[in-house]
Amino acid sequence: MKPLEHITEEIRSMSSRCRHYAMCKIDFLETGLCPPAKETPYVSFFPQGRMDICDALARGLIPVTKTLVEIISSCTLCGRCDKQCHFVTGMRPMAVMQALKAFVAAFEKDGGKIKIIPEDETLDALKHITGSKWATNDPAHLVTYSNDPFPLAKRQMPGYVVLPGSADELVEIVRYADQLDIPVMVRGNGGSVFGFVFTHGIVIDVNRMKHIELDHENWTAIIEPGVTSFELQKAVTEHGFRVNTAEPAATVCGNIVCTGLFSTWANAYGVGADHFVDMTFTDLHGEIFRLNDKNAPNAFGFEEAVLPSPGICTSARIRMHPVTDDEAGVLVPFTSLEQAVSFARDLSIRRIGLSVGILGGHYLSTFISPTAFLAEKTGNVFSDILDIRYMVCVIGDRYARQAIRQMVSCVIAADTFKMLMLGLPRLTGPEWMDIVKGLESDRPAYETVFSQEMLPVLETLLSPAPETLAGAVDEDLREFYTDLYSRPHMTDMVWLNMFRIVSARMSRHKHMFAFLVYVPLDRMDVIHKILASLEKIAQQHGIDHDFGFLTPLDFGKRGILEYDYYIDHTDSRESDKIRLAMADLEPLMDRLSAAHKGVKWLKYIFSQGCARKENFLYT
Amino acid sequence: MDFPNPSYVHIIPGDVNRSDLGLSPEEYLRLASGVDEIIHCASDTSFSEQKRDQVKKANVENLHHLLGFAAKSNCFCFHHISTAYVAGKRRGPCPEAPAETFEYFNVYEETKHRAEKTAANFCRQHGIQLNIYRPSVVYGHSRTGRTLRFNALYYPVKTLLFLKNLYYEDTLHKSGKNAKKMGITFDENGRAHLPIRIETVPESGINLIPVDYFTDAFSAVMQTQKNGGIYHLVSDKNTSIAELIDYSQRYFNISGMQAVCPENMHPGSKNHLELLFERCIKTYKPYMKDERIFENHSTRGVLNTHKISCPEFDYPMFARCMQYALAVNWGNN
Repeated sequence: MKPLEHITEEIRSMSSRCRHYAMCKIDFLETGLCPPAKETPYVSFFPQGRMDICDALARGLIPVTKTLVEIISSCTLCGRCDKQCHFVTGMRPMAVMQALKAFVAAFEKDGGKIKIIPEDETLDALKHITGSKWATNDPAHLVTYSNDPFPLAKRQMPGYVVLPGSADELVEIVRYADQLDIPVMVRGNGGSVFGFVFTHGIVIDVNRMKHIELDHENWTAIIEPGVTSFELQKAVTEHGFRVNTAEPAATVCGNIVCTGLFSTWANAYGVGADHFVDMTFTDLHGEIFRLNDKNAPNAFGFEEAVLPSPGICTSARIRMHPVTDDEAGVLVPFTSLEQAVSFARDLSIRRIGLSVGILGGHYLSTFISPTAFLAEKTGNVFSDILDIRYMVCVIGDRYARQAIRQMVSCVIAADTFKMLMLGLPRLTGPEWMDIVKGLESDRPAYETVFSQEMLPVLETLLSPAPETLAGAVDEDLREFYTDLYSRPHMTDMVWLNMFRIVSARMSRHKHMFAFLVYVPLDRMDVIHKILASLEKIAQQHGIDHDFGFLTPLDFGKRGILEYDYYIDHTDSRESDKIRLAMADLEPLMDRLSAAHKGVKWLKYIFSQGCARKENFLYT
Repeated sequence: MDFPNPSYVHIIPGDVNRSDLGLSPEEYLRLASGVDEIIHCASDTSFSEQKRDQVKKANVENLHHLLGFAAKSNCFCFHHISTAYVAGKRRGPCPEAPAETFEYFNVYEETKHRAEKTAANFCRQHGIQLNIYRPSVVYGHSRTGRTLRFNALYYPVKTLLFLKNLYYEDTLHKSGKNAKKMGITFDENGRAHLPIRIETVPESGINLIPVDYFTDAFSAVMQTQKNGGIYHLVSDKNTSIAELIDYSQRYFNISGMQAVCPENMHPGSKNHLELLFERCIKTYKPYMKDERIFENHSTRGVLNTHKISCPEFDYPMFARCMQYALAVNWGNN
């Protein structure tokens, strides 16, 4: 068997489907990280990088080098990638890792020739700054920094990848590149999905810069740019605090600079400049500045234009928020978006609850289902049988939850949510569905199903237990899932909202292309117009699409709306669809922005994420 | 309905949701020119207020489409299938006459009443005879138990059986803790004790007719009565809730259920299972205390001539219906 024959089309295809959400780069399931990647945190050593390498090898994009063999051989086939990736995407990348190892074994057995990659002056200089281990021009590394699932970006191989260990090293690299006029691109954790982090010059990967220092007295955390949301949240939680974080694998600094960082916690904690007390940057000439310095560039201001970021963040002082010991989550179901928005806005105006988010029924079912099959079944049950079209998810203290119970007729409390999650495979049983369908009530079916009278039936019916939920996954993963879901935090809405490890499941089916728009929350007509336009364009171009979420901001005056398009990023026809859709969308969003106060497309906020929210919400 | 010669039957698919009935102009005209009687039996039987628009559309708005067609055709008699429950919220005798009511138990009753009025006005204006047929609650075939729908009579029974089976499994395969919490026990023969009291009123009951009686009666009236009229296709005897409980308990090996008068059912005294069952069958609750008595003098006159009478809903009949329901898994097989 020839070496490349070990990488079958099935294996290659799976490897090309990696979503690049970098979830394998955080220890979100407490399995431990991929062992070699922990030691050498180039993207290439993580499962994400190995998937890219596999695809590139099969396509003949990279030669076999000593580094390539080293990367592949370092895999211990421990199986952690299988667990992590299955949890998020349903894929089992172990097969890819096995194929890669088989490839190397066959290559060596065949006496294959290893290509020597010559070093040059630039590489020497970079190695001089960081140490020889942390700078490279080997294609096996470079290829894992050359693309992402963004359908409109082309692959671009960098000349070099360098991993500085400190801000000083990072600044030195920038100055060196500036002197020689080499383009530089900084990359966070590799959770890149917008095609923004490619260059033919030097890619600076900040994954070694992960220092976190808590300042308890000032309720702040001083962090380096490689710290991810998950890591920071974990660190501050251990000391009784919380930070507002978004995607768990995204770096906090990168997320703030790029998007202003929003999540359902933005209801209480804000966006943009609300997140930090200060940030330190280096500009592209290596000049260092702090945002609090009166002479620094004004990153707090906002201009409605596509602008570059203020520079490369080398450290940030992030605000921490207090946590009370009586916090819990509740879900409030609704049959219409109007009702859900009205309720969420009411909560925000009355300052009830901390995290508030309106989710579509399918969004929630995807979050809580360990497989795509179950997610689809559950989503259909939620919307078609239980009449749940939207769900407002609220995290609040006991006073908030008491208030909510007085405001609405149906609340799914934390213990019911846990029951639902652990018994999900049994929710869709045909006999039970028959009973619910026959209720013929004057009120939505969810009011009966989640009523106090019905809860004992639900409990008996669902048999909620980690084993029940684990029954939905592949047999060889059941023990792992049983153990995983035996941990209380896995069914705790507060934890799940803080660490957001299930949100990446939205891309289990296909890569998600999110459109984010700030909206005036009191203008349901405008919200409808935006949603209808996004829906219409998606339909015109044959793109899968769905409502994502809507979170109130700034006491209900504004909200941030996400609408998602889903595409198979490995299919060029799907990329064409997005390209055509974007041509329709861009002018539309600009028109809506100009016509309605409070409508602001995220495109114009990109790289201005340090701005004060007032400067883009109310202009 | 058994047709004497199927070759006389031409099925033309259409769509009553549309004013043109989903037919091409040519088809519409061709059909209209050949029609002398119309039977309108399309209906939405949902009770849910949530589905008001859907029910109203099916039962009232779509009727206009048929009536419009009738007006353009040679139709001299329009046969409209309604329901005995257009009587709305009332007690005592309900005559075979236009219903004078403004209160209903649900949107189905309301829209069917509106439909009758609509049809009556329209047919009067256009010189078309109108026959209105008002069946009561229709269940399966009296000889086979066969039915296509498993709502109405069937739903509360299905719910009982679901609860019995659910807690039987809990008792058999788990600790039975959940069953105990609900007060549900099983004896050594597998008989379930379900402590459920159902509120009812003495002398009240549900008027039940089998589907074959309905079709026979309808056919007899339709073939002989062409001058317009209202016909109650009902049973002479209501079935009491106590009888239905007895049948259900016997057939499904259940004990503990009883029918009680409201004065013996204090609101605070309901146990968890009672509250649960009540919640499940809330929609049907008014029919459990139904004191409407449907007169059927006009219909009986016709049916006596044809020697058609409504079979009694006794235990063997109940058993036949349930046997069929279980055999087809309540329509899911």
